[in-house]
Amino acid sequence: MRFAGTRQYRGLDKDVTVLSSDLVMDTCLLAGAIILKNGGETYRTEETMARIAQAAGMDDVNSSATPTSIILSFRCKGLDHTRMVRTPSRTTNLNKITLVNDVSRRFVSGGITLEQAYLTLCEIDQKKPLYPKWMQHLAAATASGSFAMLAGGTWYDLAPSALAGLTVNLSLEYLEQFVRMKFFTEFSAALLGGLFALLAVTVFPELHISIIIIGAMLPMFPGIAITNSLRDLMAGDLVAGVSRGVEAMLTAISVAVATAIILWFMR
Amino acid sequence: MLLKGLALSFISSMAWCVLFNVPVRTILAGGIAGMVGFLVYSFLPLLNAEVLLSTFVSAAIVSLLSQVMSIFLRVPSTNFSVAGIIPLVPGSLAYKSMLAFVNNDYVEGITLATKTLMVAGAIASGLIFGISVVTIVKGARYAGKRAQ
Repeated sequence: MRFAGTRQYRGLDKDVTVLSSDLVMDTCLLAGAIILKNGGETYRTEETMARIAQAAGMDDVNSSATPTSIILSFRCKGLDHTRMVRTPSRTTNLNKITLVNDVSRRFVSGGITLEQAYLTLCEIDQKKPLYPKWMQHLAAATASGSFAMLAGGTWYDLAPSALAGLTVNLSLEYLEQFVRMKFFTEFSAALLGGLFALLAVTVFPELHISIIIIGAMLPMFPGIAITNSLRDLMAGDLVAGVSRGVEAMLTAISVAVATAIILWFMR
Repeated sequence: MLLKGLALSFISSMAWCVLFNVPVRTILAGGIAGMVGFLVYSFLPLLNAEVLLSTFVSAAIVSLLSQVMSIFLRVPSTNFSVAGIIPLVPGSLAYKSMLAFVNNDYVEGITLATKTLMVAGAIASGLIFGISVVTIVKGARYAGKRAQ
């Protein structure tokens, strides 16, 4: 079955090459869930699902997504289909979003069949992160160290702030398994990173605690939440935009409070 | 000094790309976006621009650049813009404001916190500016095609 062909028949019920509406639904929801789970924007989730469903010849396609749930409904041969899925856990893996984007583009332009698209999406969903864990921790350390230098540190501040960033990233990953609250995890990780900075300054008094703390808190900067919130707001998705913005703000507040506690120890 | 800053912003943006699991072929582009943003950010104060203005302009340029790169590399533009704004983050302002609060200097703390919020707002509005410009250009081209 090539879908470029089926699209011409849209609206004429009797001649449509019937794609199983269940498969269409599964494919759309899987694509949407992968995008939402891995840190994609809400409007991208809605658009991708609607495009796939329309290209598969469904009528009356309506999709709605919030940062934690997806609803998709369409009409196939006079029958309405609606389903909803929830996406409780969220990570950031932009590679998967790029791959899903690619699959949906190829399906809509008729390059692959629906079955192929579904199988590819399943593969993408099972994929491990592109970079191994140690590489991510190394990247966090590098980012912290170089940002601390950008904020006006000397060469001596490079290593301690990189280590503090590493501490923060390691504790983020480790604490996430026990504490299921994102903001408390971030708070405790920031506290641990700050304690490391405090320790470093106590042992080597010539280091600057300000620079080390600025570097250490960088891995918790809610960059993806801010960017996504803005893009959702611009796309007219107000609910998702505002809720992502609040998420970014809560992260910023928990980091700020942890920093304040560390500074209070310093006094 | 400028070279050191450029190299550092390049490295930290690329590290953020790795942290966000972007596709391998776009890491270098993300680093370039961060570097260009930092270049603009450190160049504008030489023309007597304020921090807010230079942050806004550099965020807008990062956003525009990431949209253009996303068209050429065929990936969502979030891949670049997230990493590109990292060198602009007002880390030291936020730190100073927390320090003032802890030292019971509330007036100074609120002043610095407002400044931090305004810089964050400048980053946000710069990103929005870039997105809107690209959307308007795309819409105009689409309308032109339809008219033919």
